[in-house]
Amino acid sequence: MTDLAAPAGRPRGRFAGSRHGLLALGGVLVGGVVLAALFANWIAPYSPYELNVAAMLQGPSAAHWLGTDELGRDVLSRTIFAARISVEVALVAVGVGLLGGTVIGIVAAYFGGMLDMLLMRLMELLFSFPAILLAVILMASLGTSILNAMIAIGIIFIPGFSRLARAATQAVLRQQYVDAARTIGMSDARILGREILPNVVTPLLVEAAVAFAYAVLLESALSFLGLGAQPPEPSWGNMLNTGRGFMAQAPWLGIVPGMAMFLCVLGFNLLGDGLRDFFDPHLRD
Amino acid sequence: MLRLIAFRLLAFVPTLIAASIVLFIAINVVPGSAAKAALGIDATPQAIARFEHQHGLDRPLHVQYLAWLAGVLRGDFGSSFQNHVPVGPELLARLPVTLELALLAFLIANLIAVPLGAIAAYFHQRRTDFTITFAATVMGAIPNFWLATLLILLFALTWRWLPAGGYVPFTEEPLRNLSMMIMPALSLGIVSSALLLRIMRSAMLEVLSSDYIRTARAKGAGQGVVIRRHAIRNALIPFLTVGAVEFGFLFGGVVIIEDMFLLPGIGSLVLVGIINRDYPVLLAAALVITVVVLSANMIVDLIGSMLDPRQVHGRSGG
Repeated sequence: MTDLAAPAGRPRGRFAGSRHGLLALGGVLVGGVVLAALFANWIAPYSPYELNVAAMLQGPSAAHWLGTDELGRDVLSRTIFAARISVEVALVAVGVGLLGGTVIGIVAAYFGGMLDMLLMRLMELLFSFPAILLAVILMASLGTSILNAMIAIGIIFIPGFSRLARAATQAVLRQQYVDAARTIGMSDARILGREILPNVVTPLLVEAAVAFAYAVLLESALSFLGLGAQPPEPSWGNMLNTGRGFMAQAPWLGIVPGMAMFLCVLGFNLLGDGLRDFFDPHLRD
Repeated sequence: MLRLIAFRLLAFVPTLIAASIVLFIAINVVPGSAAKAALGIDATPQAIARFEHQHGLDRPLHVQYLAWLAGVLRGDFGSSFQNHVPVGPELLARLPVTLELALLAFLIANLIAVPLGAIAAYFHQRRTDFTITFAATVMGAIPNFWLATLLILLFALTWRWLPAGGYVPFTEEPLRNLSMMIMPALSLGIVSSALLLRIMRSAMLEVLSSDYIRTARAKGAGQGVVIRRHAIRNALIPFLTVGAVEFGFLFGGVVIIEDMFLLPGIGSLVLVGIINRDYPVLLAAALVITVVVLSANMIVDLIGSMLDPRQVHGRSGG
């Protein structure tokens, strides 16, 4: 028999190394984005807003490594500063989703019954909407601003986190120490906070890494549509949207911001996959 | 079997109604914003009051919703705030464009995902598997609107092989239609294939380690027969069930892609509704997209349970 029926276990030899390599690659990409976001003021060679009419649509050169845009602004500097918006939006959005989803999931699992059914039905429904459609509608309704983008994207994440928190809570509830806590007369709030929450944190944090990638993608999509970050504030999405109008003369305007988005999303995906493998190898296949 | 279908269809009605409530609330989450948006920030309170009265927006939200729902059930989606044109016929004219795009994209995604997913599973944990899985991770990380930008840059602007945008119906000029649809469909399909590939690989891995595959081999069936006749066929059932969810994501993607390629579909209508703050248009277009996504999920769910012998026999008393 060939190894077709080989059980799916830990990766073997060389490819186990490759998996660790991918996790490391994810870490490097994410680290790069976070450093760019934190230290944009020091790293970026120019101000992201500095106009230079004499240097419009110039190709990559020693002075402007990634060229200039239609207003002569340095594309590298704008790309670095845009990382800041992406990371900020993703951080707050994932925070909103994580908080809302965890509360809903734990409450649903802990109290069960009708409340559980109603909450989970609602989550299931929200989950079935295409994310970008829901994001676009919420933005239209809330108004276009970075803060609203954070809220809209955060709302989209609530169902995913709530399902995970509910499943994790249910698993914890079956443990004896929860029964013990009940027997000694601990209040519901204390059991939830002291016994359950610490035990459901790990799967939620792994999911958060993947949600981060998706948040970056959604923020870029909203900004691309003109519903997120507003020019002249640099965001990868709005840079790409403006840039594609000048692509025939300046192809880098269509390539650079997209590449930044791609590397950032790839980084968070690899990191999420790697963390998932690390914490729960059974989930991999 | 008929009871199963009837039950699923019946259970689908409350889902649709709940979905329409969510959309209605999402769009009206800030009260009074429709009038301000339609009339501009300089509108006087009198003008806003007149506008709201004219469009019934001064009624309580649940009354507005019920009136809108009653209209939708009669096929009346209301009229545009901007040009007062009925929204229903506009939807009907645009739906084929979006369906063609989504189906083409889904076809492309499956053409990539099914064979590559099966190959990856066949070479489980070997170099081929690793390469394919990594390629899927890379494809999944590409924003579809960036892929669309790159395709336009290459095929329309640099090589001039394909038009950068526009639309003619398939029934009028089939080849020209396909030349206009191929880039948008690739943008959606390639990115969606990433998740489908992983699902196919997992489904295939599970089937390949199952008892009946061992039995088939033990009976002396050749490798090709085992893979084609038994493994891929059986892996397709779980694959399709999960794949429907991806169809939903893909269908949501039409909002951006249609706009980029100037396709007059439902997705671009959502954006028209947003840019003009034309809420009846936005609500109707969003509802159509949601209904298509939910229906796709429901249909595949139904097919999945029809194909699953345990369900069929369980329900029919076998």
